This record gives sequence, C-alpha cells and structure tokens, in this order.
Amino acid sequence: MSLDWTTLGLQALNVLILVWLLARFFWRPVAGMIERRRAAAQALLDDARAKDEAARLALAQLSQARAGLGQEREAMLARARAQAEEDRAALLAQAAKDAEALRRAGQAAVEAERAAAARAWRERAGRLAVDIAARLAARLRGEAVQAAFLEFLLREIEALPAAARGAAALELVSAGEISAAARADIATRIAAVLGGAPEISFRTEPALIAGLELRGAHLRISNSWRADLDNILRDISHDG
Amino acid sequence: MISPLGDPVVFYVGELPVRQAVVATWGIMLLLVGGGVFCTSRLRLVPGRMQAALELIVTAVDEQIRETMRVEPGPYRAFIGTLFVFIFAANWSSLVPGVEPPTAHLETDAALALLVFLAVIWFGVRAGGVRGYLESFAFPNPVMIPLNFVETLTRTFSLLVRLFGNVMSGVFVVGIVLSLAGLLMPIPLMALELLTGAVQAYIFAVLAMVFIAGAVAQSHLETQGGKDSP
Repeated sequence: MSLDWTTLGLQALNVLILVWLLARFFWRPVAGMIERRRAAAQALLDDARAKDEAARLALAQLSQARAGLGQEREAMLARARAQAEEDRAALLAQAAKDAEALRRAGQAAVEAERAAAARAWRERAGRLAVDIAARLAARLRGEAVQAAFLEFLLREIEALPAAARGAAALELVSAGEISAAARADIATRIAAVLGGAPEISFRTEPALIAGLELRGAHLRISNSWRADLDNILRDISHDG
Repeated sequence: MISPLGDPVVFYVGELPVRQAVVATWGIMLLLVGGGVFCTSRLRLVPGRMQAALELIVTAVDEQIRETMRVEPGPYRAFIGTLFVFIFAANWSSLVPGVEPPTAHLETDAALALLVFLAVIWFGVRAGGVRGYLESFAFPNPVMIPLNFVETLTRTFSLLVRLFGNVMSGVFVVGIVLSLAGLLMPIPLMALELLTGAVQAYIFAVLAMVFIAGAVAQSHLETQGGKDSP
C-alpha cells in the first residue's frame, strides 16, 4: 500500500475549492437568507411593538379624552338640569298665574251667573208674588173695594195742583161694569173735587183687577190693584 | 493481481495521473455546487419545501458548531459544513453503480485530515496570533510541548485512519460478500454501509470542530493570559 502524493494534493485542492465554492454559492446565501428572515421577523416584532405602544398611547389619550367628555357631559347635564328647573319654575308660575286668572274668570262668571240667576229668580218670584196678589185682589172686587178706591181717587185729585185739574174730557176706567146710578154718583163727586163740569166717560178694563183710574189729555191717575202691583214689581226688580 | 486498495488512473493531464477517486470527487463537487447554485438561485423570504430543507441543514450545522465549539458559527460554517457534506456525499456515492467512494482511498482521507490539520493551525493563529497559537502547546506547562505537538499529529492521523478504515472496510466487505453470495445478499450490508458513512461523516466533522475549538480556545486563552499578565 502506497500513498499517491499527487492524488493527495489534487484531493486537498479539490476539497479546498469545494469549501470555497460552497461557501460562496450555498452556505453564505442560505445563512444570509435565514438572517434576513430573522431581521425581517425582528423588524416586524419591533414594528408590532411600536404599534402596540402607539395603540396603548392612543388608548390612554382616548381614555383621558373620554374622562374629559364625561366631566363635560356632567357639566352639560347640570346646566340642562338647572335650565330645566328654571323652565319648570317659570312654567309653574305661568300655570299658576293662568290658573288664577281662569279661577277669577270662572269665579266672575259664576258670580255673574249667580247674580243673573238671582235676578231671574227675583223677577220670577216678583211675578209669582204679583200673580198671587192679583189673584187675591181679584177676590176683593166689590162695592166696598170700589168705594175705597173712589175715596183714594178723590184724594189724589185733591192733591193735584189746580192747573192740572182743568181738563174738559176725562175717561174713568174701572175693572168691572159700574151701574148707571153709581156712574152718576162717581161723576158728580169727581166733578165736585175737580171743579167745573168735565165730561166723564166710562170704560171697563178687567186688567186693572180692581180700582178706578182717571185718564185725560194731560192727566193720569193710576188708582188700581194693577198699578199698585206694577209699582211693587218694579220696586222688587230695582232692588236686585 | 490488482490490489483492492489500488486506485486506477483514469487519464493523464500531461504527466499528471488523474485517478478514479479524483474523478469521483469532481463528480461530487459538480453535484454539490450545481445543486447549491440551483437551490440558492431561488431563495425567497417565505421558504418553499426545498429551501426549508436547505435552511434546516444550515441551521443544524450552525447549532452543532455552537454546541460543540461554544462560538458563533459564521467563520467555521463553510469549512465544517463542507467537510460534513462532502464526506457524506462521498460515502454515499457507493450507491451509484460503478462508483467507488473517494473516501475509500487513503489519499482522499489524508487530504481531508491534512486540511483539518491546516485549519486547526489557521483558526488557532487567527484567534490568538502566531505566538498565542504556539504558546498553546505549552499548556498547562512547557513540559507538555512535545506531547501536545505529537498529539496534534496523532489526532490528525487518527482522523485519517478512522475514516479510511471504516469506509474501505465497508467497501471490502460488500465486495467480498458480493463475490461469494450473489446479487441480493450484499444489500443489508450496503444499508449498514450507508449508516456507517453518515455516522463517519458526522464524527469527522465533530472531531474537526473539537480540534479547531481546542486550538481557538487555547490560543485565545493564551492571548488573554499574556495581556492580563504584568
């Protein structure tokens, strides 16, 4: 067994060349690619870390802003609450004022209605009273009543001033028919009080209920139940 | 009779004989460099299957260097990695019919051992300078200088003999069994030979790392000691 030094040298040279070639075309490119990937991954991680930091910062700012928003919201709510309270108070005051006005208007209306009703009731009561009196008075028509009314009439005529007594034609209105004798007596007595010789005509008017009324051109003496009741009714109405 | 250890001359370049082992080595070089160029021409940041396999090889070599030498793999990757890949490919070249592994010949193994010997010196000098490297022979004391020097030579020789013995013996056994038992009988032995080839490639590369690491560490230690001493 011998050692071929030429072959040994060639093989050593071959392996050296192979080391150089593989270093150039295999080991370095692949290791470089691994390193590039590691660097890219590291850059991605750094980038992710930076983005994470930025996100945390943004979150902190957002939280701060949100806290500020909360305070602002509370302040706005407080302002709105105060404004609402003011508005509510104003509305309540206005409503109270309106209610008071309505109450007064209603009270006035009620008072007016009450007064009108009282007036109407008084008027109705007056009429009813007058009707009752008229019915009662109608039962008192008779000689005595007529004599009394004649006395009242003569007294009224006497109370007239002298200038008012000088009427030439007069009308005597009675509630019922008067007999001819009674008419003559009445005309005589009236003429005696008036003085002179006035012409007296007679007329019947049941609405008088009872009594004698003397009417002339410038003279009118209302002397009957009707006239008295009308006066009473007018006084009742005016009293209200 | 032709010696089974003989390496026939394939052709001559002038008066320089080119033997079968050299031609096989050239074939292996062409395959490795061509494959490397082909694969690395399409490297992408997002790797495919092929690229992932290549990166796995490089990462495994780097990790092995880190674990064995306790240094960053950059300066040693190409040498250690190429030794492993070449020896592995050379040992497994017996799979190709008619090709005898170059590592089954003494010259190839001697060349590899010689390169490791020179690499130990080169990396040792680079780490601690010529003086630092030479002073490393005096560790732990100057009495050890002859022993350390002899150890440097013998361990290189052991590298040569280990690889040559294992590969050559495998080829011999397969050849003998083939001549005695017939066509299919050597197959289990061939499979065992492939395993032996892979293991031997790994052992050669690891031992080269250990030797280089020893020289580098020792030279570095000597340099540091020289700097620290008043």
